[in-house]
Amino acid sequence: MATEKADVVIVGVGGTGGILAAELSKAGMKVIGLERGPRHKTSDFAGQDELRYFQRQDLRPNPKRQPVTWRPNANARAVPMAPLNYGNQVGGGTVHYGAVSWRFHESDFRVRSQTIERYGTSAIPEDCSVIDWPLSYAELEPFYDRAEYDLGVSGKAGNLQGRKMEGGNIFEAPRQREFPLPPLFVDNSARIFEEGVKKLGYHPFPTPRAILSEPYQGRPGCAYCGFCSTHGCHVGAKSSVLVTKIPEAEATGNFKLVTGAMCYRIHSDNGGQVTGVSYYGPDNSDNTVEAELVILSPFIYDVVRLLLLSKTGKFPEGLANSSGHLGRHVMTHIGGRVFVAFDDRYVNMFMGPTAQKHTIDDLNGDNFDHSGLGFILGAQISVQGPGFDAGPIAASVGMPPPRGIPNWGAPYREFIAKYFARHAALNAQTDNLPFADQMIDLDPDVRDVWGLPAPRLTYDWRRPSERARVEYMLRKTEEIGRAMGASHVWRANERPGSPGGHHQGGARMGGDPKNSVVNRYGQSWDIHNLFIAGGSIHPTISGFNPTLTMQALAYMTADAIVNRYKKRPGPLV
Amino acid sequence: MKSKHNESRRAFLVSTVAGAGAVATGAGLAQTAPQAEPAADHTHNNGGKLRAFLNQDDSAAIEAFTERLMPGAPGEPGARDAGVLNYIDLALAGAYAELQDFYRRGCAALADHCRKTYSKSFAQLTAAEQDAVITAMIEGKAPSFTWPTSQAFFNTLRTHTMEGMFADPVYGGNKDFAGWRLVGFPGAQPVFTEADMASREAFTRGPILGLQAQARRS
Repeated sequence: MATEKADVVIVGVGGTGGILAAELSKAGMKVIGLERGPRHKTSDFAGQDELRYFQRQDLRPNPKRQPVTWRPNANARAVPMAPLNYGNQVGGGTVHYGAVSWRFHESDFRVRSQTIERYGTSAIPEDCSVIDWPLSYAELEPFYDRAEYDLGVSGKAGNLQGRKMEGGNIFEAPRQREFPLPPLFVDNSARIFEEGVKKLGYHPFPTPRAILSEPYQGRPGCAYCGFCSTHGCHVGAKSSVLVTKIPEAEATGNFKLVTGAMCYRIHSDNGGQVTGVSYYGPDNSDNTVEAELVILSPFIYDVVRLLLLSKTGKFPEGLANSSGHLGRHVMTHIGGRVFVAFDDRYVNMFMGPTAQKHTIDDLNGDNFDHSGLGFILGAQISVQGPGFDAGPIAASVGMPPPRGIPNWGAPYREFIAKYFARHAALNAQTDNLPFADQMIDLDPDVRDVWGLPAPRLTYDWRRPSERARVEYMLRKTEEIGRAMGASHVWRANERPGSPGGHHQGGARMGGDPKNSVVNRYGQSWDIHNLFIAGGSIHPTISGFNPTLTMQALAYMTADAIVNRYKKRPGPLV
Repeated sequence: MKSKHNESRRAFLVSTVAGAGAVATGAGLAQTAPQAEPAADHTHNNGGKLRAFLNQDDSAAIEAFTERLMPGAPGEPGARDAGVLNYIDLALAGAYAELQDFYRRGCAALADHCRKTYSKSFAQLTAAEQDAVITAMIEGKAPSFTWPTSQAFFNTLRTHTMEGMFADPVYGGNKDFAGWRLVGFPGAQPVFTEADMASREAFTRGPILGLQAQARRS
C-alpha cells in the first residue's frame, strides 16, 4: 500500500486526460496520471493485423475483465455488451480511432433554443430532456483552433470567418483560420461518392482528420496503409494523444504516469472537497494518491461508476450528484448503413484512412428544414469501409450480402470474391436526443475482475422521433447509392435497440445545477476541486464524431484551471 | 481421454491467466521468429494426426462443415484450401479457449442430429445432405441442439470460417494467402500511393504481403 501526493491526479490518461496532463504539468503543477491499460509505442503497430486489432479488438477493453451491461428497459435483465469502442491504453481511444475531427455546428450547442425558435416547442418530444450547452460555439472556437494546431488536423475550411469556401464543408461553423494541414489524398470511393452526391445537389468534402497529410511537428505524413480505425498507426501519423501530448507532459518533469492502475474510489472530506483517489495496481496492490485536484477523464461508464461508488454520508447518492442527474441523458450514434457494389469498376476500400472518408453535411443538425418531417436533427453521411476497418474480415463479418444471396455456400463465395474490391459502405451517423431514462447505474449482479459492480446501461433508441430520423436518413442514403451509379444498393440489417457508437452523456454540463452535473468547465457544481473531461459531459451529441469537441473542452478546462482556479480555488461559475 | 482432457484444461487455464495476451503472443511471434512462408504448413490437412484441441471426429466434422460454408472451386480457394480447420483448432487451444465447451457441445449436437437423420456423421454425408443440415440449423429445425443453439453454432462457425479464410497466415489459416487471393486483398501493404488510390482497377502493383514478410523486411 503506497501513498503519494500530487497537485493533480488524473484518472484515465486518454484523449482528454493526456491533454490535461500536458497542459497542467507545463504550468508547473505536479500531476499523477492513472491509466488502467498499458502503454504502447508506434513500433508496436508495425504488425498490420486485421484479426488482432479489428476482429479481436486488441486495443479495446476486454469485456470479460471489464464488463459493461445493457438492458433495453428497467424490466429487462441486463446482459454484457460486446466490446465498446473506447480505448484501453495510454492515449485511450485516440490510439485506435479513425481520427475524424469535427467542430460541432453552432446550432449543436443550442438544440433546445434553436428547435423552439424554428419549429416551436412541440417539435421536441414530450419526454425529451434536451438542454442547451452552457457555452456557445464562438466561446469554444479558440480551443477548437488550439486543438487542431496543437495535435495536427488535416482538412479544408468551408467557412473562413463567415466566408463560404469551395471544397470545404459550407455548413461548418465559422473558423478563424484554415486547418494546419491540407486534406489527405482523396481515394477512389471518395471520388465516386463525390460524383454521386453532387448530382443530388449536396456539398461533399474531404472529412477532417487528426491524421497528418504532411510532416508536422517531427512526425511523418500518412502512409495510406488502410490499417487505420481500430489499429494503432505504424508510422505515427495519427495525431493520437499517445504521440502528441504524453511526450510533452513527460518532458516537463512534472508528470508521472502509472499504467495498470484501476481507480476504484474518490475520497472526499466532510468539508465537501475531494482529497484524492485509491487504485489497484497491476499486482493488485492497494494505493492512494492525495491531491488538491481530482480530474476524471475515463470513458463515460467509469465516470459514472466511480462517482456512484464514492458515495459517503455527506454525499449519499454519489459524488457530484446533488441534482440526481448523474448517469442520465446518455446518447449514442444510431442510424444505419447502406452498401453499394459496382460491376464496372474497382473501389479498393482497403486503401487509405478507413473512417468516414468523404462526407456530406447537408442532412446533419439543423442544416435542412425539418418542417413536417416528424423529427429534429439529422446525420452526417459518409462513404467508408463496411466495418471500422475495410479489410476482408470486416467485409465478410460486417457486410451482409444483398437480399437473395445467402451468407454461406458457393453463392456467397462468388459474391465476396467478386465484390470485396468493388464495394463501399455508406454510413448515416445519426444524432440521438437525450432522455432521462437513457441511463447508467451499477449492475447489482455483474462484477468486474477487481470485484467492482459493472456499469449498467438502460437504453433503447427506438422511440418514434428517433426511428423517423433513422428511416429518413436510410432512404436518403439509398438515393445516394443509386446516384453513385452502383450496380447493387442494399441496406444493412435493421439495428436492434442496443446502443450505437460514440456513447456520450451521463455527467452533462449545463447552466443550471438542478439539471446538470458540471458547469461549462467540467467542474462539479457540488465539489469545486473535482473536474470531469470527456464525452460524459456533453449535453447533446450532434451527428459528428465527438473527439475534437471533447479535446477542445479539455483545453478550455486546462486554461481555466491554470489561469483562474490555480490562483483562487473555488467555483469557476 | 484423460490426458486429452487435462491438456485442454491446461490450455484453458493458461488462456485464463494470459487473457488477451494469448492474442499478443501470436503476432509477437511473427515479428521475432521469421520463417519461410507459408506458415504452419506442418499442421495443414494432416488427416489423422492429432491437433492442438479438436479430436479426430470433430476435426472431420468442422473441416467438412466449414468447406460447405466457403466451398472451393477450380481457381477459387475454399475453406479446406485455406486451412480453416487448422485456424479454428489453434484458436480453440489459445485465444478462444473459452469456446472449447461451446465447440464440444456443438459438435456433439451436430453428430447427434446427423445420426438421427441420416445414420451417418456429418463428414460422411453428401454435399447436398450437408447443406440440408446447415439449412435446418439456420432455421432452428435441428432439435439435437440445446446449448449452443443451432443458430449460435452456425453463426460462430461462419465467423470463424471467415477469420480462417482472411486472417494473416500467422494464425494458421489463409494458407498461401488463399483467402486474400480469392477476394483480391493485397494484405499488409505498408504504403498505398496517390495513384493506387485513384485507380479503378484491381491492385497489382506489388505482391501480397503478410506479417512474416514484414518481419523479414524489418
